[in-house]
Amino acid sequence: MVRPADLRELALARVVLLDGGLGSMLIAAGLEAGRAPEWWNLDHPERIEALHRAYLEAGSDVVHTNTFGGNPLRLAAGGLPGRCREVNSAAVEIARRACGGTGLVAGDVGPTGHMLPPLGGATVEQLQRAFREQAEALAEAGVDLISIETMSDLREALAAVEAARATGLAVHASMTFERRRRGVFTIMGDPLVPSLTALADAGADAVGCNCSVTSAEMATMVREAAPLVRVPLSAQPNAGQPRVTLEGVVYDASPVTFARDIAAMVEAGAAMVGGCCGTTPEFIRQARATLDAMAKR
Amino acid sequence: MTDPQVLFSALRDAVLGGDDAAAGRLATQALAEGVPALEAIEQGLVPGIREAGRLWEEGEYFLPELVTAAQAMKAAMAVLRPALGPDDPASSLGRVVIGTVEGDIHDIGKTLVGTMLSASGFAVSDEGASVPVARFVARAREFGADLVCASALLTTTMPKQRELAAALKGSGLKAKFMVGGAPVSKGWADAIGADGYADNALAAVVVARELVGRGATG
Repeated sequence: MVRPADLRELALARVVLLDGGLGSMLIAAGLEAGRAPEWWNLDHPERIEALHRAYLEAGSDVVHTNTFGGNPLRLAAGGLPGRCREVNSAAVEIARRACGGTGLVAGDVGPTGHMLPPLGGATVEQLQRAFREQAEALAEAGVDLISIETMSDLREALAAVEAARATGLAVHASMTFERRRRGVFTIMGDPLVPSLTALADAGADAVGCNCSVTSAEMATMVREAAPLVRVPLSAQPNAGQPRVTLEGVVYDASPVTFARDIAAMVEAGAAMVGGCCGTTPEFIRQARATLDAMAKR
Repeated sequence: MTDPQVLFSALRDAVLGGDDAAAGRLATQALAEGVPALEAIEQGLVPGIREAGRLWEEGEYFLPELVTAAQAMKAAMAVLRPALGPDDPASSLGRVVIGTVEGDIHDIGKTLVGTMLSASGFAVSDEGASVPVARFVARAREFGADLVCASALLTTTMPKQRELAAALKGSGLKAKFMVGGAPVSKGWADAIGADGYADNALAAVVVARELVGRGATG
């Protein structure tokens, strides 16, 4: 397990390379349209393990468990009601097996899918309860840290941080931003730097941005946020913009462009880097080579 | 008696500020003072929602502001719609069945489009999230839909839009089919044979009106 102070130290000592997209890889591996990816922790553990291994072999220091939708609210919507502990524990076991003695296992926590007012009728307490149940299941199963990702409502992100912190593990919290005319915000209107600061103030040991944007745009976000955020900053862009064709989803960026932008993020102050939707082990391999080359300079 | 212009401007501001209680109250007051419902809609509510949309595109408004504006418009429409004459164009633009495709639990965009369509005068049946193709088709038949709208927020669930397009074509229903959602594009809509595509809730209203042959005005 990684204690809160250890994550900060680790990320300060050298750049931590996270993994790349998991959901998009599962689809490529045959996950049926509309099926909750968490099912595969139970049905096809060997496929999940192979993906984790591919990322570790490509050079990831950390892998994320296949539990993005592993909170009880979202599991219920995906046909897995009442199975939070079982699903999360299976996912951690798979990731641990893939890691062996090396590599850290981050317990992945994503949004509940239930909206707070004015968009929906959920309460912060409901979300907190859901996150607590998942965080406890992840911690019990032995994750090294908890990684909250792709949040677009700061209130929900804070509810997740509070639940994750209660486990005593290190907590990484990341939100999804986009550039609007007046700056960088989530779709809910939470601004970049104040949101990341709020997550750090709430006790997140590392904070950052993931999903939605290209690696080039992500580098500009890191440039804006890094000087103003006092905990290690993470950045996990998509492999360009997804375009859907009749043949499937196509992401525009190449692993080489991605790695070049990863270098720019690190130079701008990112302490943890990785990929989100559409990135593959090849993207991580290129990023690893770039990071190793930078470390030698 | 209040100057109608003052009422229109207050209605506009209630929509813009997302104040559904004020919007409903002002709509009731307008009717009580003999203001024609259509004028209250066209000179109060519509400019309000248009301005909210403009502010959204400008990056001043975000999802919560836009949604509460649409909710305020809906509250006022609930009061005004029964007072519309049968020939008023806003009395009903058409009947819409809307939902998010099966396997996709994302609700926001679809709900916003539904609210905006309903606020603009469509009769809307919102089927919620994760709606199977067969239910879309069955509901379209029951509801007498002029238009079926399907949202997909995940690249993984977009193929369901394609299935639905085919199912609607095969069903013999006359309903037009519109798609939306973050990863959806005009190219995808064309490729799967959808009749329309919109990349935001305001555009969705414009496209919906065109699809049911009630484009332009209002």
